[in-house]
Amino acid sequence: MTASRLRQGALDPAEWLAKPMPPHCGGLAVFAGTVRNLHEGRAVTGIRYHAHAALAERRLAEIEAEAARRFGVECEVAHGSGELQVGDASVIIVVRAGHRAEAFEACRWAIDTLKQTVPIWKEERYADGEPRFLEGTPIKNIEQT
Amino acid sequence: MADTLEPMRITVECYGASQRWCGAELISLELADGATVGDALDHLSERFGELARRRETIAVAIGDGIVPGSRPLDEGERLALIPPVSGG
Repeated sequence: MTASRLRQGALDPAEWLAKPMPPHCGGLAVFAGTVRNLHEGRAVTGIRYHAHAALAERRLAEIEAEAARRFGVECEVAHGSGELQVGDASVIIVVRAGHRAEAFEACRWAIDTLKQTVPIWKEERYADGEPRFLEGTPIKNIEQT
Repeated sequence: MADTLEPMRITVECYGASQRWCGAELISLELADGATVGDALDHLSERFGELARRRETIAVAIGDGIVPGSRPLDEGERLALIPPVSGG
């Protein structure tokens, strides 16, 4: 059974890096997004990630499949949910490819696409005030990206 | 004799900032039989001004798919408000 791509809590990037490289691959590109302690000048103490689980799981799987189709790479995508602390990894993209060019390109495409197509919301917590949902972007289908 | 039009009840799940705009995570709505997703959004927009102002940016999901405003609703169905997303 495939592991869930939407996880409760922070992600451990080592879990995704443990997989051996396929022999035909010569490039491994990784992007991990982490919780930052500052947003628009305000001190951030943590982020609660909310998700529509069923649709998010489906969209994360579709991003992996579309990355494989568009770039000819192996792509894995995962996102954390619930309460995360500063420094925690909230999202990870891992691409294994024949060469670095398509590895970088697919990795960049996957994170940019995730941000526009997956129903996940950041609720930031601040040192000096009430939590706030960040402004986002109207959800798109993956074909629109 | 023609069937009388019974109202149907649906549940709206509010995700992300739509929880703030509607003041709740779950809302129960009573709609006329044959109502669509768009009709449900009309009702919500009449009740919640904050949501009405952002209506064009909100999508609706049922199950694991985004559905169009023209989709008819069934008794007891749950629909989810998907406001602009901010993952990553």
